[in-house]
Amino acid sequence: MKRRYLGVIILAGILLMNIIFTQYMVHQYYYENYENVLIFGGLNIVLFPLAVFAYKKTINMRA
Amino acid sequence: MSDKNNKIPFNEDNYTHNIERNNERKLDRRGFMKTLVGAAGVFAVSSLPWGAVAAKELMGLGEKEYPHKKITDVSKLPIGDAVEFKFPGDHDDAILIRLSDNKYVAYQNACTHLRCPVFWVKEQGEMICPCHHGKFDVKTGAPTAGPPRRPLPEIQVKVEKDAIYAVRVKRYEA
Ligand code: FES
Repeated sequence: MKRRYLGVIILAGILLMNIIFTQYMVHQYYYENYENVLIFGGLNIVLFPLAVFAYKKTINMRA
Repeated sequence: MSDKNNKIPFNEDNYTHNIERNNERKLDRRGFMKTLVGAAGVFAVSSLPWGAVAAKELMGLGEKEYPHKKITDVSKLPIGDAVEFKFPGDHDDAILIRLSDNKYVAYQNACTHLRCPVFWVKEQGEMICPCHHGKFDVKTGAPTAGPPRRPLPEIQVKVEKDAIYAVRVKRYEA
């Protein structure tokens, strides 16, 4: 029963990381640390395929 | 024709799963997870412009020299007073403060918290942001109180023939 929500939990975690990375990226941009902007922007982009993967893996989980 | 739609349970993992006339207001777990994935996509896409601008800066394209801009005449700015100007663009608010005979400081005065205009309070010798009472040190631009965490970007000025010019915006030291 509980396992059905695993996907939701993972995706919510991914979204939380999205928010954190975005916040970091914007702040590093204003601090003019442009390398860090690229790193966190890249992480944000990588999270999307990860989210798709997590969705596909967990969507048909039963009980 | 395949009979995959006749199977029970009906395999409904398709991209229009949420669009169903009878239950269009209902969001099940599957639909909710799709929304989450979509949101991750939105984050990814909205990171792109930041990355693009950062890459541009890294390649040195952002290091433009702006034409020196006259702010005011020395005679019009008594010691302890401030004057506002625009630099480098027409929408970039900045403030010049005369601290002593020939000591001037200038900053871009959009607050580093939420961009309210920071102003100079002569009596207290501080720069204050009206929105959430952020305070900045006038000598360095560093935040001293309130929500701001980042110093105000400093503008280099020079005095030439009794007039004060804005030269360029200083970078933060790495
Ligand atoms: S905008 Fe200046 S303190 Fe919030």
